[in-house]
Amino acid sequence: MHIHQLVARLAWGDAIGNQVRYLQSLLRSWGHTSEIYAESWDDACRDQVRSAKSYPRESTRDTVLLIHHSFESKQVPLIARSRGRKLLVYHNITPARLFAGFDRGAVLSCDAARLELLALRPHVDGAFAYSRFSAEELVAAGYRHVDVLPFAIDWDAFDTPPDPALLGELDDGFSNILFVGRAVPSKYVDDVLRVFTAYQRLYQPKSRLLVAGNIHRDAPYGGFLHGLKDLLGPEHIRFMGRVSAAQLSACFASATAYLSMSRHEGFGVPLLEAMYRDVPVVAYGAAAVPETMGGAGLTTLSRDPLDVAQLLAVLEREPALRQQVLAAQRARVASLSQEAVAAQVRTALQGGLEGRMPEQATVPAAPPVELVCPGFVTRPDAPMSRLARELQRRLPEARMLALRARGEEPSLSLGPQTTEGAPVWHFTPDQPVGPTPEPLPGSSSLETAVRASTGAVVLLGTDTAVAQALLQDVGRRGWGVRDAAASSDETAIESARHHLGTRLLELNRADIHATADMLVRSLASKKRGSRHAR
Amino acid sequence: MHAEDLLTLDPTAQAVAAATERLPEPTTAMRDTLRRTLTASLRAPVAGLWPALLLEARAKADVRYVEPATSHRPVVGPVLVFAKRTFRGAFQPFINEVLRRQVHFNEAILDALTVVIENQREHARSQALWRRELDARLKQLEKDDPGASSH
Repeated sequence: MHIHQLVARLAWGDAIGNQVRYLQSLLRSWGHTSEIYAESWDDACRDQVRSAKSYPRESTRDTVLLIHHSFESKQVPLIARSRGRKLLVYHNITPARLFAGFDRGAVLSCDAARLELLALRPHVDGAFAYSRFSAEELVAAGYRHVDVLPFAIDWDAFDTPPDPALLGELDDGFSNILFVGRAVPSKYVDDVLRVFTAYQRLYQPKSRLLVAGNIHRDAPYGGFLHGLKDLLGPEHIRFMGRVSAAQLSACFASATAYLSMSRHEGFGVPLLEAMYRDVPVVAYGAAAVPETMGGAGLTTLSRDPLDVAQLLAVLEREPALRQQVLAAQRARVASLSQEAVAAQVRTALQGGLEGRMPEQATVPAAPPVELVCPGFVTRPDAPMSRLARELQRRLPEARMLALRARGEEPSLSLGPQTTEGAPVWHFTPDQPVGPTPEPLPGSSSLETAVRASTGAVVLLGTDTAVAQALLQDVGRRGWGVRDAAASSDETAIESARHHLGTRLLELNRADIHATADMLVRSLASKKRGSRHAR
Repeated sequence: MHAEDLLTLDPTAQAVAAATERLPEPTTAMRDTLRRTLTASLRAPVAGLWPALLLEARAKADVRYVEPATSHRPVVGPVLVFAKRTFRGAFQPFINEVLRRQVHFNEAILDALTVVIENQREHARSQALWRRELDARLKQLEKDDPGASSH
């Protein structure tokens, strides 16, 4: 059988590139013909890749194409005109809001990539994701055949001997806190700096922070990090830039703990790498991080630097607890052995190749009205939740969309579930929901469900991250309600006014029924207007 | 750290939370100073607007299309306008092909300039925050040791 892969860019050493190469070796070992097609590639990968432009010509009815999607690729037309079976492999897309204010190009590309995710749907026969968190978004986008593919890691690649010079330099009795990754806004390296500052000032003055990964000093985020380092004023922070495999081994060998405050991970390979190298992991539980950790290490739902610093201090001061953490991490790594993962990948892919993928109950794409109330489950007594209940009573055909409760795991079954007496579709938030005064986080899957839908959209709380992400997409089918007493963000207000105009209503806290009346009338008049227009 | 803020199976969240309770309690002054510094380091949301300096250049970046043809001349004017419109209508696809790379170059230059401007803005912001923080620390030192300022 001919099973090929398509990727926008084949890079040397990044998680997606490694995964593509690993799948190719697996497919070839099972007796299939397998090539990698890409739009662009690193020089080091020149011999492993073919130009994506040639795929439509080379494809036949019997070929199978695995399409890796994680960023804007502009490959939808090419995929559409290619023959044979097509299966999507979704690595997740970083939410655009995480780049806002730092990287305009990345904001546009992430938004475009999410639109491509919707555009790909009619052209593929099934879709895989590397976590339930990502698979949930595929179901929200309307993909019917969705399955979770285990992430394969080449553990042998982490066995490089450490650079002796660097190891000698770092192994000097200091407590080393390590973060590995590119310094991009979504990784929140600034929060790593804040946690380390708290740790050094409150618990361990003889400590050092190692940030191993590329930092562009000329880019706004790189400039911000260097400024922040001066402002916070902790000592012994080392921005190491891009490091060799031996240097990275030295960093891990000397590390007391691995710290990640990233707000988005489709999977999170460095977390498992730290576990494999016997370094205890402290990670903020955003996106697919809790799934990757699998109960091992210390996953925190609090991002308060003082709280997280306590976890670093505990790992250093309590040897018994540290040993317990390390034992749990070893068990986690053992469950992801290459043989076990290869068998699981084979079973999952076989299903896709033979058209036996599990069928999901997709979100209906065309309810007449979408009631988007992110806090309906987590903050049931908030004025917007009360308004949502009132609206659902008056508009029984409407669909209510809300964030899942704190700590609830992602699921491929989105709903409806009865909450507070109302049928609600639940979506996993991109970050843990904080206590009440904190703003609600966004949710990529909820936003994707709304983008995939064609009904009228009512954004209950236009200052929420979900509403702000959707404002420009919903266009003329969007209505919004603003709670002036709870919102003070001028930029959010301006954006809501700009996109919704007269369809933006003010919440009357004293008389929720009056606001509901006004909204229902406005929705009805719009319906009548569109009938006349026809 | 509260147990409900932790996701861990072994050790349990309760055991980890109990271990954090055993840590030495930092002094209130130390904690307050740290909180103030951390709050000062938070970055206010930045509007995603284009830098004003580049708005005009941005409006002219796509050189494939020009303003609609007009003329103030009484008789020849309409003929010229018609000729220009016809020419544009007939040759626009070819114009687009010829100028496509120029448009890409213009967009790339605009993106690079935006990064430079935003980076400068970021540095200025960091400097201002750092000065403010330094002032606050100096004031705190003077408050803690009033005799020092008189020497």
